[in-house]
Amino acid sequence: MLEYSHTIGIVAMEGRGFEYPTDTVPARNGRMYVPNRSRDFGERGVRVTVLNLDSEYYGTFGYLGDGEGQLVSPMCAAESGQGLIYVADDYTHRVSAFDYDGGFALRWGVHGSAEGELNGPSGLAFDTDDNLYVADTHNSRIQKFTSSGDFLHAFGSPGASEGQFRLPWGLTVAHDGDVYVADWGNDRIQRFSPEGEFVASYGTTGRADGQLRRPSGVAVDEHGLMYVSDWGNERVQVLDGDGNPVQVLRGEATLSKWASDFMATNREEAAARATANMKPDLPDVYGGDPHTESAHVESLFWAPVSIKLDDAGRVYVTEANRHRIQIYQRTPSPA
Amino acid sequence: MAQSDIKLIAHLMRRAGFGATREEIRSYAAKGYEATVEELLNPSDTEWLGDDMVRRFDLEASGMINAPGSSRNWVYRMITTNAPLLDKMALFWHGIFATGVPKVINGRVLYDQINTFRRHGMDSFDSILVRLAKDPAMIVWLDNQENHSHAINENWARELLELFSMGVGNYTEDDIKECARAFTGWTIGNTEYMMVRSQRDSDWPYGRIAYHFDYRPEDHDDSEKTFLGRRGNFNGEDIIDIICQQESTARFISRHLYHYFVADEPPVPSWPYTPPRDPGAIDILAQAYFESGYDIRSVLRVLFNSDFFKSEDVRYKKVKGPAEYLVGVLRMTGEFDMPRREMIPRYRQTGWMGQELSNPPSVEGWHEGVEWIDTGTLIERINFASEQFGDSNKPGVKAMIDRICREDTDQLSSEQLVDRCLDEMGAISVDDETRAVLIRFIDADHGRENVENLLRLSASTREFQLA
Repeated sequence: MLEYSHTIGIVAMEGRGFEYPTDTVPARNGRMYVPNRSRDFGERGVRVTVLNLDSEYYGTFGYLGDGEGQLVSPMCAAESGQGLIYVADDYTHRVSAFDYDGGFALRWGVHGSAEGELNGPSGLAFDTDDNLYVADTHNSRIQKFTSSGDFLHAFGSPGASEGQFRLPWGLTVAHDGDVYVADWGNDRIQRFSPEGEFVASYGTTGRADGQLRRPSGVAVDEHGLMYVSDWGNERVQVLDGDGNPVQVLRGEATLSKWASDFMATNREEAAARATANMKPDLPDVYGGDPHTESAHVESLFWAPVSIKLDDAGRVYVTEANRHRIQIYQRTPSPA
Repeated sequence: MAQSDIKLIAHLMRRAGFGATREEIRSYAAKGYEATVEELLNPSDTEWLGDDMVRRFDLEASGMINAPGSSRNWVYRMITTNAPLLDKMALFWHGIFATGVPKVINGRVLYDQINTFRRHGMDSFDSILVRLAKDPAMIVWLDNQENHSHAINENWARELLELFSMGVGNYTEDDIKECARAFTGWTIGNTEYMMVRSQRDSDWPYGRIAYHFDYRPEDHDDSEKTFLGRRGNFNGEDIIDIICQQESTARFISRHLYHYFVADEPPVPSWPYTPPRDPGAIDILAQAYFESGYDIRSVLRVLFNSDFFKSEDVRYKKVKGPAEYLVGVLRMTGEFDMPRREMIPRYRQTGWMGQELSNPPSVEGWHEGVEWIDTGTLIERINFASEQFGDSNKPGVKAMIDRICREDTDQLSSEQLVDRCLDEMGAISVDDETRAVLIRFIDADHGRENVENLLRLSASTREFQLA
């Protein structure tokens, strides 16, 4: 089960804060690395923000551009066994790696559809051998590379059958080495062996518990529980190893430390906010659409684009449209 | 299939849509004119790129901190929809109920209003006005959150009568005050917090929060009012009901529809002093308005099936607005099968052509017709279209050139090449002088590259600027 812990972040066009964050890497050095796509590929907005769980801010790197160490549209990130932060860019079709301080390490990636070429990568995950699985989104396949970018193998093709994908997004490598993929356009999570053989599929299209609409990411814990950012339903679901729903969360964000700092120095806004009903009953005109509901109610998940676990039992939900990360704590399931 | 049928369908699609490709025109023509009108009025199986694709790949078109994000979302829909009249009507109402970012700030709130226009733009006019009166963007745009039972604000009431329904000269100053009283208590939720954030242009801490309508009975003046000669304890819905019964409303909306779909009229402020271009047409539309119970879809059905709409006399008698011009070009070039970063510079072109969506010059909206064109905007339009049609990597352009060059072009006459080109551009007709210029141009070289240039030149013709 998940229990809400706290929220991190604030919207900011540059520097401390996020603007359309796309992922979170809870790295082994105790810091979090958060790529930001920015609102319009802004010169200062595109960046990776570095912070920790207590909202200590360590700076940014990876600004807009095509040069080494620069990014245009960072969509996801992952940490290698070597302690490098890899970032995939779905505009340049490249993967770039940085050290913990943001120093450029290497980059690779060629646009195309042949083996080893990429088209709009949007998901990254390392296995224990430090090989990198890449959701090669517009080629509707998963490719596996060494950490230096040498092609190993690929699986998947466009379609809705077992082992096929429609614009796959986030992916993860579970403790047993299996690869779980958020098969976005097919409203399901697919599970594969490390070699890419189809193992199982979880979820059907819909809004009921256990159903999915355009999932963006998946994480798997040591018990085989799946944590799914159910993007199209604007929620997070915990599924058991057979895909049955265990818990459904709609979000319960509170003011982050940075948001509280803002309110402390902008008292007119804070005073008006204190009188507002932040969970209003919406008129019927909005029709119960979760995306619209989230646009009106600040505490709810809005565009949960990624979900990640750390070794301490925390779950990180990155919300692009709310420019923040909601953090939950895993607790033992009630008997 | 008769060429006259093709030309008539092309005319319909330029007006009720954003133009159409050669294939689309032939497909519609095969169904027949009246069936096509019905399909436009009552689209089924509507398709477009889709919210999911836009939200995933253009994040600001999802979160909509600012207006350009919401407008890009709309442009994606306009360039990929198979139900173009829905969005043409949204654009129509956006021109009349012109609401803009200088006061509303919040992109999502502007998007919600456009969505309402798309979903309900062909409903009955009274229901459209009620939705408008409850629309959070309109409430903030015209200060109705400041309209209190103890202190009225007339802004919404004045524009409702002057710009949105009856037109000047058909009501008194007292009617405005009484109308304003009827709309007291019509506001948005969390008014104070939303307005503080709006005034400070604050997207903190977590991006914008969309507004929602809130009726506050304790702030509504429920006492008796006298409006347009009627007396009662009117609320907003009662006022709109009375407005919609007026002959002036029927004529005002009919003239707007004529202006938008049939032929350019002079700017709206001159309407009280300038008779309509075709008074008989306005009579027909006004009659349809009353006979249908103010139903806009029914009025449009009469309009599109009328002789005055089909007449050769009104073809190419409308200047395309910048948004419809841009959308028409992007539909033909087929560049956006998914959201791409390149939409940002494409979308910005509408502003340089004189129409930044959700940013009208005033509450009056844009002055349309020939006022769209000046030396600056004309160059922007021609350069834009020329650049787009000059890139044969774009799938729509490549397909057009492939079809024009499907046989050895050296075996075709220059006249045949020009006719094929104009056909590909949406079955447009040009005058003899322009046609002669195009023929002279292609005479020198029938090669594929020059055919591409012929497309660019065709996009710079006078007729391509017109609908």
